[in-house]
Amino acid sequence: MQAVDKTFKERLIDFTMYCRERQFVLGPQETRDAFAIAERGYALDRKLFQYSLKAIYCKRKEHFDRFDEMFQRFWSRYYEEKLEQRQKQIKQLKKEKDTATIIFLGTEFKVPKKEVKEQEAKQTVGANDSIRLRMTDFSKVNVADKEKLEELAEELFHQMSIRFKRRLENANRGSIDIRNTIRHGVSKGGMMLDLAYRRKRKEKRKVVFLLDVSGSMDTYSYYLLRYVMVLKKYFKSLEFFTFSTQLTHVTPLLRANNEQQVLNQIGKNVHSWSSGTKIGESLTEFLSAYGHKFLSQKHIVVILSDGLETGNVKVLQDAVRTIRRKCKTLIWLNPLKGMEGYQPIQKGMVNVMPHLDAFESAHNLDSLLKLEKLLMDV
Amino acid sequence: MNKEIDTLIKDFYEHDYILSEELATSIFLLKNLEKPLLLEGNPGVGKTMLAKTLAEHLGTNLIRLQCYEGLDVSTTIYEWNYQKQLLHIKLFEQEEDKLALQNQIFGMDYVLQRPLLQSISSDKPVVLLIDEIDRADEEFEAYLLELLSDFQISIPELGTIAATSKPLVILTSNRTRELSDALRRRCLYHWVDFPSKAKEIDIIAKKLPNIDEELATQVVTFIHNLRKSSLHKPPGIAESLDWAKTLLLMNQKNITDEIVQNTIGSVLKHKDDVEFVKNKTVQEFLIPVT
Repeated sequence: MQAVDKTFKERLIDFTMYCRERQFVLGPQETRDAFAIAERGYALDRKLFQYSLKAIYCKRKEHFDRFDEMFQRFWSRYYEEKLEQRQKQIKQLKKEKDTATIIFLGTEFKVPKKEVKEQEAKQTVGANDSIRLRMTDFSKVNVADKEKLEELAEELFHQMSIRFKRRLENANRGSIDIRNTIRHGVSKGGMMLDLAYRRKRKEKRKVVFLLDVSGSMDTYSYYLLRYVMVLKKYFKSLEFFTFSTQLTHVTPLLRANNEQQVLNQIGKNVHSWSSGTKIGESLTEFLSAYGHKFLSQKHIVVILSDGLETGNVKVLQDAVRTIRRKCKTLIWLNPLKGMEGYQPIQKGMVNVMPHLDAFESAHNLDSLLKLEKLLMDV
Repeated sequence: MNKEIDTLIKDFYEHDYILSEELATSIFLLKNLEKPLLLEGNPGVGKTMLAKTLAEHLGTNLIRLQCYEGLDVSTTIYEWNYQKQLLHIKLFEQEEDKLALQNQIFGMDYVLQRPLLQSISSDKPVVLLIDEIDRADEEFEAYLLELLSDFQISIPELGTIAATSKPLVILTSNRTRELSDALRRRCLYHWVDFPSKAKEIDIIAKKLPNIDEELATQVVTFIHNLRKSSLHKPPGIAESLDWAKTLLLMNQKNITDEIVQNTIGSVLKHKDDVEFVKNKTVQEFLIPVT
């Protein structure tokens, strides 16, 4: 092992751990193989090293699809000098305090000046970094943690998507197919050891998401948007709308395969980002334009909004009542619910509360992941 | 780029196989780390052809084991040559040393070697292709573990037979069932995807040098658009080549609705898929692929 210097060894072990944390099944043999290729000098050629590690560390397609990005992210980061990184972070923190502009979906938005309360995020109870980030309110994530949160969100959403897939597959095993069971038994001397199942017709879960993209939701809407994009992969009949002062049907934009493309498309096509909030009017528009198509006793409607209505409260109440009457379940996800001491006492929320089947928070990764159960159970 | 990998790519190209740098690296590791390579991917993307080309490239034999449900030790590893054993017993039944007789008939001379045993008994390293491993039972996967990790096979009457030369093992799977983690962990892994449009045009041009470039582009565009539609069985590279060959034989310069109606059978192998295409116009499948 002499050809490999110590710091490189440490980096390689760190990378193995990094992959393990992301569900790669790696044992000592894989680490040995990785060292073997490093010893032969393959690590000097970045592409060769990347492809070699990819062949050794990936064991299934899901790993294969994610590996390049992980490699890029990990090794690019490690090649930078730690000191330089620290200086950058300090500079960025300073910048954030001076300016009040955020870049969202490639567009700059001006928001009121906020003090970045680093300590607030760090005070969250948690055993390690991941747990702390999972529990951190999206609006209180500091610049230094932003990249880590992005990574964690991607990882956790990916895991969630796998769980969804498995549950939906298991739920559809169906009843035993006698004819095929007997046929399978022929090769086992007539012993019916393997049961064949008749696939049950899937009862489609129909979900409608209505996401508030007004200014007050800016810090949350990006993560909520990504969450809905993950769900779209598994709920074929998921419809997605955004609203603030006007309603936009976003589902057709979700067809692109690449997540970044989808985000760009949405950025280009939804013109009401960060504007005011007219929830009632937007919901009424949804009812009149899409209600006949996307509301039935099979539909679950999820509204993601802070409920800070600037329009007529009566209109909001009527719209929510009508939606509830026409759908199977109505869920309201309010990021403000995650705040300590929050009570739904604003006019908008008070009036709609009686019509909701569930009222949950959606302010951090942990609360979003908890919704998984809610969506599977309804 | 590493010289050996560069040579691999060039040599495979001469054998009509267009290898990406990533896949070439996996082959390079297969040779250098002496670990089996598991190739997964949709049917018709060139997994089996890769093993054949590797054998040609190395100038060695290809031993192929086509997997199916019910595959067992006697068809894959070894079987006793019962007729020969009986004959031997008959010839030497007057022999008094029965133990010696027993030792003789349970020797290597009385073993019928099946593909896996053949692959490790060869004087020169061979390419062992275990094709469509996902079709075999899980029990068979367990048999394979010893061979894949230690390149040895245990025969109860003879003990452990170590490889005289380590074969280059390639396993392929179409993912019709999930393979065990134990098997995956013993292998290098590569997912073989459908090629990009440009690469597929190159493949067609390489295999059918007489084809008009415009026709090759149309075939590939049509096939790529088909793959984007939700078909029961998306066409692979083999189907692209078959179709291009058919169109070439029919002296066609362009793909027309009539041609599609008459020849789509060489591309699609499922009734619903054929009907889906027949109900559309050719222009819908000739939209440029991004």
